[in-house]
Amino acid sequence: MKISGVYTLNVPQERAYALLQDPAILAKCMPGCEGLDRIAENQYAMRMKMVLASISGLFAGKVTIADPNPPTGYRLIVEGSGKIGFMKGDGVLMLSPAGSGATVHFEGDVQVGGTIASVGQRLLDTTSRMLIKRFFTRLAAESAQAGVERVAAD
Amino acid sequence: MIPQTFEYTAPQTLEEALGLIAGGDRKILAGGMSLIPLMKLRLATPGEVVDLGRVSGLNGISENGGVVSIGAMTTHHAIETSRVTRAHCPLLAETAGHIGDVQVRNVGTLGGAVAHADPAADYPAALLALEAQIKLISAQATRSVAASDFFLDAFTTALEPGEIVLEVEVPAEDQSEGYSYEKVPHPASGFAVVGIAARIKKDGNRIAMARIGVTGMGAHAFRALAAEKVLENGGSVADAAATVGDGETPNSDLYASADYRLHLARVHAARALATAISRAS
Amino acid sequence: MATTISKPATLVGKGIRRQEDPRLITGTAVYVDDIKMPGMHHAAIVRSPHAAARIAGINTEAALAHPGVVAVFTGADVKNLGAVPCASSLPGLRVPHHHLLAQDRVYYTGHPVAVVVATDRYVAADAASLVEVQYDPQPAVADPEKALAAGAPAVHPQWPDNTSFTFHQEGGDTGQAFRDAEIVVKQRITSQRLIPTSIETRGVVAEWRPGEKSLTMFTSTQIPHLVRTLVAGILGMPENHLRVITPEVGGGFGSKLNVYAEEALMCYIAKEIGKPVKWVESRRENFQATIHGRGHVDYYELAAKRDGTMLGLKLKLIQDLGAYHQLLTPAIPTLSVLMMPGLYKFKSISADIIGVFTNCVPTDAYRGAGRPEATHGIERMVDILAAELHMDPAEIRFKNFVGKDEFPYATTTGLFYDSGNYALPLQNAMAQVDYAGLRQEQATARAAGKLMGIGLSTYGEICAIGPSAAMPAGGWESATVKIEPSGKVTVMTGASPHGQGEETTFAQIVADELGVDIDDVMVVHGDTAVVQYGIGTFGSRGTAVGGAALFYALQELKAKIKKFGAMLLGSDNVSLVGGSCVDDATGKSVSFAEMAVAAYHAKTLPPNTQPGLVATYFWEPPNFTFPFGAHIVVTDVDRETGRISIRRYVAVDDCGKIINPLLVAGQVHGGVAQGLGQALWEEAVYDEQGQLITGELTDYALPKASFMPLIESSHTETPSPVNPLGVKGVGEAGTIGCSPAVVNSVVDALSPLGVRHIDMPLTPQKIWKLIVQSGGLS
Ligand SMILES: Cc1cc2nc3c(=O)[nH]c(=O)nc-3n(C[C@H](O)[C@H](O)[C@H](O)COP(=O)(O)OP(=O)(O)OC[C@H]3O[C@@H](n4cnc5c(N)ncnc54)[C@H](O)[C@@H]3O)c2cc1C
Repeated sequence: MKISGVYTLNVPQERAYALLQDPAILAKCMPGCEGLDRIAENQYAMRMKMVLASISGLFAGKVTIADPNPPTGYRLIVEGSGKIGFMKGDGVLMLSPAGSGATVHFEGDVQVGGTIASVGQRLLDTTSRMLIKRFFTRLAAESAQAGVERVAAD
Repeated sequence: MIPQTFEYTAPQTLEEALGLIAGGDRKILAGGMSLIPLMKLRLATPGEVVDLGRVSGLNGISENGGVVSIGAMTTHHAIETSRVTRAHCPLLAETAGHIGDVQVRNVGTLGGAVAHADPAADYPAALLALEAQIKLISAQATRSVAASDFFLDAFTTALEPGEIVLEVEVPAEDQSEGYSYEKVPHPASGFAVVGIAARIKKDGNRIAMARIGVTGMGAHAFRALAAEKVLENGGSVADAAATVGDGETPNSDLYASADYRLHLARVHAARALATAISRAS
Repeated sequence: MATTISKPATLVGKGIRRQEDPRLITGTAVYVDDIKMPGMHHAAIVRSPHAAARIAGINTEAALAHPGVVAVFTGADVKNLGAVPCASSLPGLRVPHHHLLAQDRVYYTGHPVAVVVATDRYVAADAASLVEVQYDPQPAVADPEKALAAGAPAVHPQWPDNTSFTFHQEGGDTGQAFRDAEIVVKQRITSQRLIPTSIETRGVVAEWRPGEKSLTMFTSTQIPHLVRTLVAGILGMPENHLRVITPEVGGGFGSKLNVYAEEALMCYIAKEIGKPVKWVESRRENFQATIHGRGHVDYYELAAKRDGTMLGLKLKLIQDLGAYHQLLTPAIPTLSVLMMPGLYKFKSISADIIGVFTNCVPTDAYRGAGRPEATHGIERMVDILAAELHMDPAEIRFKNFVGKDEFPYATTTGLFYDSGNYALPLQNAMAQVDYAGLRQEQATARAAGKLMGIGLSTYGEICAIGPSAAMPAGGWESATVKIEPSGKVTVMTGASPHGQGEETTFAQIVADELGVDIDDVMVVHGDTAVVQYGIGTFGSRGTAVGGAALFYALQELKAKIKKFGAMLLGSDNVSLVGGSCVDDATGKSVSFAEMAVAAYHAKTLPPNTQPGLVATYFWEPPNFTFPFGAHIVVTDVDRETGRISIRRYVAVDDCGKIINPLLVAGQVHGGVAQGLGQALWEEAVYDEQGQLITGELTDYALPKASFMPLIESSHTETPSPVNPLGVKGVGEAGTIGCSPAVVNSVVDALSPLGVRHIDMPLTPQKIWKLIVQSGGLS
């Protein structure tokens, strides 16, 4: 399934790029993420508990940051698998300045397998868009906060 | 398809039920038409299921002072056929008749459907158009949330942990109102590919009030506010329908791509509005 | 001795109610899942969530440690057992070794990887989720045309071209036909993958009796005897130590005309653990791991004269086989080729089949098995030709039909059509709908901007499958008829009916032939320890082959009965009348009960007379039968939404002689429902990674009762000369006749917009997109 979208963050492009690469921030913003542990350069083991109304599932997998090209973009690969299925998201994030903030444009492909693929067809598009939105909403909140912290620290 | 092992409790009173769900890995069971399939697929794996089926006072429909109160455990079938709903909120009765099939309607409940908040569920469209209030209760408190503040996202509502849907309050429809629920059911699941709930009040030939709820289109049901405005400002049905879904990213699945879904929403909005207008006096 | 004789009215031809229905509708029928045995264990199967992956390891420790689990079996345990069999052989066919459980790779989502056995089914299901399989996913390919493209992932690494076989068949001189042609029309036509979806999924109970060294298997199958022979072969055990019982079977539609890994696995496990074991398939497993049907991509070319005379037909047929061959997988497209000329007088045909492996569950026989695909192809092509020539689709058909005086008719594909009057059903159907009036109405509707369609299909099918020469495992059928000592009649049929109603039709035949009350007849089937060897029920053969075997057995039995009657009556000239034997001279008679007593007590037998009243007949059919018919479908298409509504559905079918019109109606209705399913709603969809994304009934749209139009069904009756009953078969007719009539109707509706073909299923979205593309929405 193809996914794409555009979100705006209220921090300069360089900072947005840094945030989007920061495992601590990613861990906070990825819905259900219970932790990212570095296993290699730009690669993190991930634990995730997805809860969506009655539906819940534990996933284990990894997050890979590839082709980094600061501050204009990188490729993000998120893979996870658990009892209810597995998923792999592979996409490119492209950043550009937008006024005092930054625009994040992403485009990618999501593959799911197992139970969620075979019975979730009707809801896959809706829910993946919802999860991505949650990610960026939190990121926006984090970036606002991070921005304040940085200012304070400077 | 066999669910993971779980505990089952069937409390007799509301207090007991609320006490139980106040903590732990517990799920409420109402009609089970959404929860049980998820459990059988092991997509839902609650440790304990609290059945509301034996709690008294959660089931029933009554009208009082222009407000129809419907208990959370009231079945779709009861809502479809009750004299009270047919007389005072016929839009909701008509909508209930479009849910799934007879078996589902005989068992599934209003509270369950509202709490589950499937993006393609039928009721939310009607409840938005009816400007209904969802009454919630927890061991600590009760509160009332407008339908427009209740459905937040796909499968996501304003319900807090420990809270349950107690009842739904629907302001009675005016006798002169016209209404219509137009649905494109998915041929396999029966869920709404799109569903449009429309209410119209006329003042002579002018449309004094239009309420349009849309389901199936996005992560959650929404009011087509722009379309309502067009009609209330004297615009045509076609012009109103053409604004439905503006600014939304429509859902897309095998059966209906985003552009087809948007088109269906507009076509069926026009049809629902035409019916509602013809029924209004 | 009694002298009054009351001959009961004949039952053949009467619409009497099904003998089997009361138990089916009162919940007293016994299916596999109803079987309980002392000490019975339960199996749950761990299946691959990946379409293609290497298995890096399997850890069964946690599952084994789960309380109540008695064993976990993996590929290594069954490595040396035989393979799931494929019975069809084609020259050069590549047959992958189909292990009972995956070895080092999985090839489709749903591929069985391990079996967990526990004391109850809940424990088994819990423990199955504790088996940890480490998969190393590999690229998969789920589309047969993509699988043929250069560089496609290899389903079986040893065969990088993904081609299991190619098959060429030619009759007449197509080169000449296409040189003589004044017009050639070409079209790519698909027949999508479908999920057979019987209400009862598969299920097996197996019990090992060490003392007798024998296995008993209850399984939901259409072919108990073949399952016995083939499973015994897989297990390497003598087949007479394996008893297969098919209790009630809740539908099969071809999906249970097979031998499945789970059948052999449960037998193996029962023996290993020394306890009975049960496995019942879930709906999800059924969708993922029971065979699918269809899966064609066909490229047709039709050569004709401008006057509509059809000369030659070429077909390139790409068959999506899935990852393995099940029992008849590669044979199904060859049936399509046999029937590709339809009811028409083609001078030449040429067909090339390419059998393609994909990372999907295997395809195999599904209601119609090869013939719906062929009929859909030819009936679409005829309509496309008619449109191109601006001819009426009925007229072009009348022009090309095999004439009613030309039977037996030798086709260019090597068949001999048995009998027919192909124009008659079409004439009847046209009269019924007032075809000329409808066309006028359509002209008016079109002028008003409405999309109204009239579609016809005239189909022929190949049934009563079939002569043994054409079958991998014999195409005869068997029947035994016994008069019991009490005078009651027991029939044992080798056909294994599972919903078709032969307990009723066979009892009707017996009642008429012997003149006994239908309630005195019991039809027994589906137990290899009780019933003589038989082939089974599929290919519309139950009555046309099994019923014929019964008829011949009855003739032998009647001869025996007469011997006893003659003995008791002391006369050489006796006749069988109304359940009695009558002395032609005196009119004196003896009843069945009296003759049965004489036959079994055997006190006064003439020399060289065997006691008992039993006859068994194995009947080899000399030919197939060829039912035919015409369906007309009138549709209205909603210009705004693409929604199709069926205004009329008229079916005129000729299935030869009708034994029970009620049952025939049932078959036509069910068949049409499944035809409509294919035409309008159903499609098994695998995504690019080989995930079956229509994995449940919430996404896979089966027709529901409320979707069905009124089916106006009637018949012409052209007896088949192939069997003494004159029957042809009707189990698949509705499905075969339906889909092209529906598609022809919708294409006809959209033809003013320039639409000439649409692939199934005709979803509203697809129709809407065509309308938009043609600018027809404005
Ligand atoms: C075949 C089929 C077809 C269907 N078609 C449609 C359709 O066309 N349109 C449609 O709208 N729906 C459809 N449904 C869903 C149906 O309407 C369900 O009945 C409904 O969604 C859930 O209601 P329930 O009473 O069955 O709830 P349950 O399945 O028991 O519960 C659903 C969820 O709500 C929670 N819950 C239940 N009651 C309460 C409460 N009082 N307070 C808080 N939480 C609660 C449960 O914990 C659970 O998470 C269909 C279902 C099936 C099986």
